Amino acid sequence: MRLTTLVTREISERKSPFLTALMAVGLGVALVVTVRSVMQASEADVARKLDGLGANILVLPPGTAVDDYYSADLGGSVMPESYVARIALSDLKGLDNVSPKLSIPVAFGDAKVTLTGILPQREFAAKATWKGAGVFARPPEGCGPDSETVPAKLPETAVRRRIIDTLAADEVLVGADLSQRYGWKAESEIELGGRQFKVLEILPVTGTVDDSRVFAHLHTVQEIAGAGEVINAIEIVGCCREIAKGLGEGLEKLLPETRVVTVLQIVETQIETNRTMQGLSWLLSGLALLLGGAGILATMLSNLRERRRELGMLSALGAPASLFAKLFMAKALLIALSGGLLGWLLGVGLAAALGPRLAQVMVPLRWDLLPLALLLAVGITALASLWPIWRALHLDPARALRDE
Amino acid sequence: MTFRCRRGDVVEALKPCDLKIAAGDHLAIVGASGSGKSTLLLLLGGMLAPTSGKVVVDDQDLYAESAARRAAYRQEKVGFVFQSFHLLPYLSALENIQLPLWLKGWSNERQRARAEELLAKVGLADRGNHKPSELSVGQRQRVALARVLANDPEIVLADEPTGNLDPEQAELVSEFLAELPQQGRTLIVVTHDPTLAARAPRRLELRDGKLEDSSLN
Repeated sequence: MRLTTLVTREISERKSPFLTALMAVGLGVALVVTVRSVMQASEADVARKLDGLGANILVLPPGTAVDDYYSADLGGSVMPESYVARIALSDLKGLDNVSPKLSIPVAFGDAKVTLTGILPQREFAAKATWKGAGVFARPPEGCGPDSETVPAKLPETAVRRRIIDTLAADEVLVGADLSQRYGWKAESEIELGGRQFKVLEILPVTGTVDDSRVFAHLHTVQEIAGAGEVINAIEIVGCCREIAKGLGEGLEKLLPETRVVTVLQIVETQIETNRTMQGLSWLLSGLALLLGGAGILATMLSNLRERRRELGMLSALGAPASLFAKLFMAKALLIALSGGLLGWLLGVGLAAALGPRLAQVMVPLRWDLLPLALLLAVGITALASLWPIWRALHLDPARALRDE
Repeated sequence: MTFRCRRGDVVEALKPCDLKIAAGDHLAIVGASGSGKSTLLLLLGGMLAPTSGKVVVDDQDLYAESAARRAAYRQEKVGFVFQSFHLLPYLSALENIQLPLWLKGWSNERQRARAEELLAKVGLADRGNHKPSELSVGQRQRVALARVLANDPEIVLADEPTGNLDPEQAELVSEFLAELPQQGRTLIVVTHDPTLAARAPRRLELRDGKLEDSSLN
């Protein structure tokens, strides 16, 4: 005879109350797991989409018009390139990539082409004064799996994220429209602004003004412009969460001489969606757990009533009241752990089934929610069992024994 | 001796008396239903605290002790026999007998060996794995008697032990109980059964809360 024998035998004798309590906990936990899984998958999905848009913060010279987010750097106003260093050395959080640009119109035959100077990632990170300091000393925070700032050579990455690993002084990347218009291909030799360039890659179609640009090394463009170390935009890929927390305001404080623009509409939509879902998630979770707790309380009290004579008999045999508490606590723990596991299984199943219908997202299997499910189940069961355990501890054994 | 009810009323269950029971006594308490016989038994077993009066066992005032000490007193010295047996329905006969030994902290192996020995003593060696629902009424009472002896009690308190049994089983139980004082145990039996009461050398009648020695009649 052991405590576990007594507990498990009692449960197997009275299966219905145990299963009722198990379902109460399980359903409560399942709802929490479902809502959280779907919500977080939806957040990640929105973040991935946002991330796919590329830079979501622009730092521009003051007075620059921002009629078109993608052509805001074509206004002609300039600011010192040293602003980039100021950002790089700051302690601002959520900066996944910072890319300075200088766009100038250059002649190509009789036509005018926009030549945009960008700083290759390798040079950016290698600048002695920036190395190991500020934002670049921290790992990228990102909004989702796509947001890792790994320098890449893919042309698509260059367009979407304004990141390119290396770019020689005489190399250019060409937008899709220009390539089509002038028949430029990779390896073509072209003359722009009086200098010879070799086409490194043709960029894929983006549907923005980038399709009509030629991208060259920033310092080459600065030399062509002859205006010194100036730029006319800093494009920043900021983590959506940090933008929501005021990254834009932080940049404004850091660079008061500039104009900071965020993709507010898109970010605000996401923030609003997330906020609504989060509120709903807490409300639903709270209600579900409350109902689960009420179910356990009712079951445990009913079980206590049912076992009064049994407890009276154990008392007659010399069992201390603390044993009754142990019996109920052990049972509560079993309910909590099995209910938590059941709830997690139900929750991930429901999330996988409902995710595509409710939020148009695929919900992955969330192993990381298992500890949360167990913790919630133990917490709610412990709270709901307090009163029945207190009553068991204060049971009048003589009255219980006579409870015919 | 008085008790406080749940509603707060104070009930006089026993009129002032001085009942002394010596070790090894065999005592029968008879009386009409509701006269307080079972209450007296629970009182002696440390299960029901009086609001006035004392129960002294081995020079110790039982109700001056903590509830935990009284539980330990029952574990060490007392064995209860009930009319309705009070066996746990979800445990086997063997496991029911193991209960008091488990409470005393014995190992599972020792509990089992002792329970098997006791079960054989009451003639149910082959019924160890049967649940109470699979046993006859008489067999259940014999399991309950084996459980009483498990902790080798000095005091056995029996509340209508033959109340639910047929005459044949009642006789067997009576004989079993009658042997206990011969083993040096104190036996106090509350009963309506005149045959069972007649076996006790000392008989008390509880009438209107007053204990009268009827063995002298």
